[in-house]
Amino acid sequence: MPAPPPDAQTQLAELISVEPCGTDGVLLRLRPEAPVTQDGAPLAPNRFFMLRREDGLSPAIPRPFSIYREVPTEGDGPADLVFLVKVIGPGTRALAESAPGTFLRLIGPLGLGWPDLTTPGDPWVFLAGGIGSAPFFMAVESLTRAGDAAEEAGTEPPAAPYLLYGAATAGLVYDVEEFAELDCSLHVATDDGSLGFRGNVLQLLDRLIADGLVPERLRIAACGPLPMLRAAQTWAAARDLECWASLEELMGCGVGICNGCVVETVPGSELGSWPNVKACVEGPAFRCDTVVL
Amino acid sequence: MVDLSVDLAGLRLRNPLLSASGTFGHGLEMGGFVAPEALGAWVSKTVTLEPRHGNPAPRIAETEAGFLNSIGLENRGVEHYEREVLPTLVGADTLIVTNIGGKQLEDFAAMAERLGERPEIHAFEVNLSCPNVQGAKLQYSTDPDLAERTIASVRTKTSKPIFAKLSPNVARIGEIAKAVEAGGADGITAVNTLLGMSVDWRSRRPGLALVQGGYSGTGIKPVALRCAWECARSVSIPIIGCGGIATADDVLEFLVAGCTAVQVGTASFSDPGLLAGLPAQLEALLESAGIPRLSDLIGTIRDGREAASPSASPKPATQVARS
Ligand SMILES: Cc1cc2nc3c(=O)[nH]c(=O)nc-3n(C[C@H](O)[C@H](O)[C@H](O)COP(=O)(O)OP(=O)(O)OC[C@H]3O[C@@H](n4cnc5c(N)ncnc54)[C@H](O)[C@@H]3O)c2cc1C
Ligand SMILES: Cc1cc2nc3c(=O)[nH]c(=O)nc-3n(C[C@H](O)[C@H](O)[C@H](O)COP(=O)(O)O)c2cc1C
Ligand code: FES
Repeated sequence: MPAPPPDAQTQLAELISVEPCGTDGVLLRLRPEAPVTQDGAPLAPNRFFMLRREDGLSPAIPRPFSIYREVPTEGDGPADLVFLVKVIGPGTRALAESAPGTFLRLIGPLGLGWPDLTTPGDPWVFLAGGIGSAPFFMAVESLTRAGDAAEEAGTEPPAAPYLLYGAATAGLVYDVEEFAELDCSLHVATDDGSLGFRGNVLQLLDRLIADGLVPERLRIAACGPLPMLRAAQTWAAARDLECWASLEELMGCGVGICNGCVVETVPGSELGSWPNVKACVEGPAFRCDTVVL
Repeated sequence: MVDLSVDLAGLRLRNPLLSASGTFGHGLEMGGFVAPEALGAWVSKTVTLEPRHGNPAPRIAETEAGFLNSIGLENRGVEHYEREVLPTLVGADTLIVTNIGGKQLEDFAAMAERLGERPEIHAFEVNLSCPNVQGAKLQYSTDPDLAERTIASVRTKTSKPIFAKLSPNVARIGEIAKAVEAGGADGITAVNTLLGMSVDWRSRRPGLALVQGGYSGTGIKPVALRCAWECARSVSIPIIGCGGIATADDVLEFLVAGCTAVQVGTASFSDPGLLAGLPAQLEALLESAGIPRLSDLIGTIRDGREAASPSASPKPATQVARS
């Protein structure tokens, strides 16, 4: 029975800052009234929150956004939450046009996030398409943290990940300078060649493997436009590689109640006992051999 | 202290607030956002005899002043409800209303037969009015004779209160209300969603895969209020108002128009904790208006009938509690 995650809360969060990012994006920094995790633990990467203004300027239905970054605050208040938001319609516009000091409805954390990225296995290749980069910042950070912990414990650290970050053009490769600071192997691709490799992320991946810069055995986690996710699914299936895709379904409630965010399952697969899954509570990331994209 | 309690068909409700079916889970899944005891009663999503997989996606679309859905009563069926949901309701400090649906007339009775005397359930809401099944024909809520027979068939299978959930997609809802009262309903939920649709003219694509669906939310409030008011003037059983209710003021408007209780649906999507805050807001509003008992407001609308007709005065709680 789909149900809200046990740690989900509904609360108000103060908008601390709104900074432009790329040609059509903003970075929203929010200060929740109550911590969103216990004992200061970091949020799992790719969990998400529903956000809306309550002054009548947002649509009635809140919009889902992945947690992009957590930023500690001075003192011992809860960490600030940063969202990377691409403005595409009324919901995102209302958020982007909010003034600092506005209080936003913040519902979450929601969803399951990425699968545990620190399990032993082939290195992760993260495929980000445009705004689909948002759930990868903390994914890389989580692997770095796991690596540091392993080093301290004298155990085998997980392999450092690769981040292949693609977009139509340079202005849509959001916050790339910050990604470049992360402990991962970052490669950028743009369709028009305005930044990095000219082509899409899968062409880039083929090139990097051919050049010996990325190993042939790897695991994929992808987030971006549907055609990109489908291409990743096909690419991984042809090579029998593990592949996860994070889906941006339309959501009504975000907490497993409305049955709006359904994704068709592959009969006979691990999720095949019911013809659909709810992206909000069973995802938003799914193994590509279990769902129909 | 303001008294928010109401008597609904013999059930004593702590306050007049119920969740609306399909917007608050099957059992108490939303208990992390709204404590069970915060509501007068919790209403389940429609349960059907067989599992239903629901309709193709997209199933939801937002419009200017409301929300369209064509979920199609997706649920895991009554067996799953009995096995997985009912045990979680044992001892809950609230009342439980199970909403039942069916494809054919016999299904409703079969559902009531199966669940009719389960101790976890305090009342039934019979969904006569889902627009998202059977090609939006809505036959159970538009044909008074069929509506009456459906409720009568459920009536024979349970001693618990039955609320008939009606559709606003009719010209004279009062006739349907009279029919379900004659069939033995103990109350009426008015209303389910309006039929609606949206389209993106650029792509020519409708917002919902099935094109039409149920329209809910703020935009339907005046329609729902009128339907509830017409039901209240047509029958002597209590009315549960539903449609576009999002604030404590909205709640009181429905009560004045003749409702004994209300349900909140789509507004919980804006904030899943919204319902938790409403009791205190109701208290504050009544306190500032100098009204000590919320139930004193029921049916007090000045619609020109208050002098003429005795039924315009607040309805006494005539129903005896059924055990
Ligand atoms: C789990 C999850 C995490 C997300 N994380 C982020 C994030 O970190 N940053 C971010 O910018 N966005 C993210 N999104 C997408 C974001 O929720 C949508 O862009 C937002 O809801 C759009 O709202 P709007 O009112 O601005 O536009 P709308 O008016 O709702 O949409 C404008 C147009 O885009 C279409 N559209 C809307 N949403 C989608 C969608 N999900 N897929 C395809 N088409 C769509 C609509 O049909 C419409 O044509 C995420 C979505 C999900 C489900
Ligand atoms: C997503 C969604 C699912 C619904 N599912 C059901 C249902 O299963 N059974 C039912 O009787 N009504 C269902 N409804 C109708 C609501 O219970 C309610 O009657 C309607 O939405 C109007 O109230 P509102 O404007 O407060 O949402 C559903 C409504 C929505 C938005
Ligand atoms: S069930 Fe409502 S958004 Fe997933």
